Amino acid sequence: MSRFRQPSILPGFGLTLGFTTFFLSAIVLIPLAALIIKGSSPSLAELKEILLDPRAIASYRLSFGAALLAAVVNAIFGFIVAWTLVRYEFPGRRLVDALIDLPFALPTAVSGIALTAVFAPNGWLGLKLASFGVQVAYTWIGVVVALILIGLPFVVRSVQPALVEVQRDLEDAAETLGASPWQIFRRIILPAVLPAVLTGFTLAFARGIGEYGSVVFISGNLPMKTEITPLLIVIKLEQFEYQAAAALGLAMLVMSFIMLFAINLVQAWGRRRHVAAGR
Amino acid sequence: MSIELDQVTKRYQGVPVVNDVSISVAEGEFLVLLGPSGSGKSTLLRAIAGLTEINRGRVSLHGRDVTHVNAREREVGFVFQHYALFRHMTIGENIEFALRVRHAKAAERRARRQELLRLVALEGMDDRLPAQLSGGQQQRIAVARALAHRPKVLLMDEPFGALDAKIREELRRTIRQIQRELGISTILVTHDQEEAFALADRIGVMHQGRLLECGKPDDLYTRPATRFVSTFLGAANLLLGYRSKDGIRFAPPVNPAPADAPPVYEIVTVLRPEEVEMASERKELKATFVGHARVEEVLFGGAVERLRVRMQDRGTVASAVKGAAASEKGAAASDDGTLIEVTRTLPEKRQLPVTPGQRVALGARRIHVLPTPVSSFSVVAATEEDCARIAAAPLLQALSTRMVTRVNHRVEPTIGEPPTGKTARALAPPGVAAVESGPGGAARVEWLLRHGASQVLCLDPERPVPTRVVIHAASDAALRPTMAVASSLLRNLPVEAAFLDIQSPSLPEEGRATQLRHLLDARSEAAAVHGLDVRTELRFGDSATELSRELAAEDIALLIVGLPLAPTDAWQKLLPIAKLLDARGGDPVLIVRAAT
Repeated sequence: MSRFRQPSILPGFGLTLGFTTFFLSAIVLIPLAALIIKGSSPSLAELKEILLDPRAIASYRLSFGAALLAAVVNAIFGFIVAWTLVRYEFPGRRLVDALIDLPFALPTAVSGIALTAVFAPNGWLGLKLASFGVQVAYTWIGVVVALILIGLPFVVRSVQPALVEVQRDLEDAAETLGASPWQIFRRIILPAVLPAVLTGFTLAFARGIGEYGSVVFISGNLPMKTEITPLLIVIKLEQFEYQAAAALGLAMLVMSFIMLFAINLVQAWGRRRHVAAGR
Repeated sequence: MSIELDQVTKRYQGVPVVNDVSISVAEGEFLVLLGPSGSGKSTLLRAIAGLTEINRGRVSLHGRDVTHVNAREREVGFVFQHYALFRHMTIGENIEFALRVRHAKAAERRARRQELLRLVALEGMDDRLPAQLSGGQQQRIAVARALAHRPKVLLMDEPFGALDAKIREELRRTIRQIQRELGISTILVTHDQEEAFALADRIGVMHQGRLLECGKPDDLYTRPATRFVSTFLGAANLLLGYRSKDGIRFAPPVNPAPADAPPVYEIVTVLRPEEVEMASERKELKATFVGHARVEEVLFGGAVERLRVRMQDRGTVASAVKGAAASEKGAAASDDGTLIEVTRTLPEKRQLPVTPGQRVALGARRIHVLPTPVSSFSVVAATEEDCARIAAAPLLQALSTRMVTRVNHRVEPTIGEPPTGKTARALAPPGVAAVESGPGGAARVEWLLRHGASQVLCLDPERPVPTRVVIHAASDAALRPTMAVASSLLRNLPVEAAFLDIQSPSLPEEGRATQLRHLLDARSEAAAVHGLDVRTELRFGDSATELSRELAAEDIALLIVGLPLAPTDAWQKLLPIAKLLDARGGDPVLIVRAAT
């Protein structure tokens, strides 16, 4: 134990580590372990059949694809929203700032139903889009729209503090040195906020993979077309195929973990390159 | 001229933070802008760099008008107080930045980088990150980076502000050396006068958005033109003196004056603490006698001894010793005089050791007379209560506080009454005489002018401090004294001012040219002597109409008007503005009487 102990002004290392371990075990590790045990109980052949079922594969593609697309869209637009909120004074700025958090607070089902009502072919926006031949509700586009709504606050809230941190002096300095607005953005501002954008992207992406409530209403849930993996798991549960549900859950867990871990690696690498290498 | 500013004004929310600043910096010159925080010096520097838009005026760099040119096209180097290095780039990348955004070749960038690192004596640091360097090293890198694109102008905003004393001094030398070596025109902004003296070819002192004075360090120190500069650069005792043809004395003249007494003018003198001589008795003084004083405080400060002594002889007022102005009002009624700051060398100290409470005689080895025509204020009214009420006017309070001068009370029961012929000649009240406007205002002003006052301020004590100043001279002869008074007051009012030149439409062409030339002469004289540049507006029409039109706006404007008045024709000449003086709640008017 004493080997790990770091000199710290705060006492109680043993207590806090114990608490952390207990908490993590009870809330995260034990349920996950149960999932792994349950999910890996079928034989290999059975597992293969469950996981490589074309319907399952289609659902993976939708879940991960839509989450990725939504996270990319959020990373770009979330950055713009954060930029607007940090850099400009306009009437109602605080109101907009507060609105950003609403998707956090709203039950996801409510946002799902609201989106469906607006984007349904007879809905307010759906009607207009239909005249252009675009259908949002009950297609994969609807899934992406729902995930964008759910993921936006993650990006905005990650990027905002990073943007505040970028000193105006730096931009002024770059300007006097002859940099154009685009060069200032690309060489000064972006490198400074990129880690934060990536964090927001990761959070939005992770949230998108696991999102259920808002998506099921707008997606239409057509097998092979607009069925997300979490929904497939629920369907399996309802059919009392607990092992299949657990196996699908495990597959999601593994894939999500690999992706998030990869993103974290990229981030750590970036941090080392930009900041930590200096120490 | 390398850098030239012409009447640059910058406002924030209507308030001028840089107010009509004109300045030129010669090729290779090192100018230091010195001023307290909030004096607008940093804003001015940013305006030169193009980082701040200006509301009015013109900025030229090397003969090219860059007022509306982007910062990135102005080709200036800018050094920030907190270095502003790009933290995610190495030192090498930082220095190369200006060349990289110009798409210079790698070899050229490398060569320039090496050259600059050598210049700031930090070779071999190329691959470090800014966070690995000390503050002083980071600021050197910032200087190197600012020079990378070979700017013709270097601007530095408090570059030593974030460094400790030792490194500060070292970096100061480095920067001076680099500046000399490259011969680059440089403006450095600081609030530290020691820094200014160490670096500057010329110092410009800024206060409340105005550039008060600009000159060689030792000229500014020995011959300041303004109260602010004399007290801001080093310590100074400001004393009122009285000049007549017999010379300067510090005791006020007696009132009423003997019939044969020569005319006496009140003046403001600067007495540096090191120029004060102390002796136990008057007859032992080698220098001019100033007055007697009691020693209040003795502080030993290493190489010099610092003392504070309180004047006991009346007639010496207004001190630059901090806090003295406030306590002075209370002391005005008692016999306590002003606090005077004295510094003595150790040999002087050995000759006459003093202890608090001891009475000494003070002498002045060298006195500098400020060229300001406004020495003090005298409120004139029929009763003491009225005096106190007028003295409390916000404008008078603001001016006397900022000018560190006093407001005398003068009770004159007969004020405003027509001349009776046989009265003892009352002495003109010292300084600017102030009376209340409203019914009878014009008569009161006229009474004062008849009794020899040369500057009369007529104001409503209820009204707040004006937000702008309008200056007008009714004749060519009045131009010069009007400009002098206006400059003196404007330095102490952070508001915008305009000189209104009103020409009669019937004036023939050549007459106009002459008048305009007179105006320009007076303006450049005001700029040279009083360091103040005022913008001019030209109108055609009748003086009274144009003036009342100018003052018709809702805001409060101080009108400074110069009138050529002979002692006899005071009343008639006042007629055009009499309406303004008699109006209740009107704008304040300062009448400057031109010598005839």
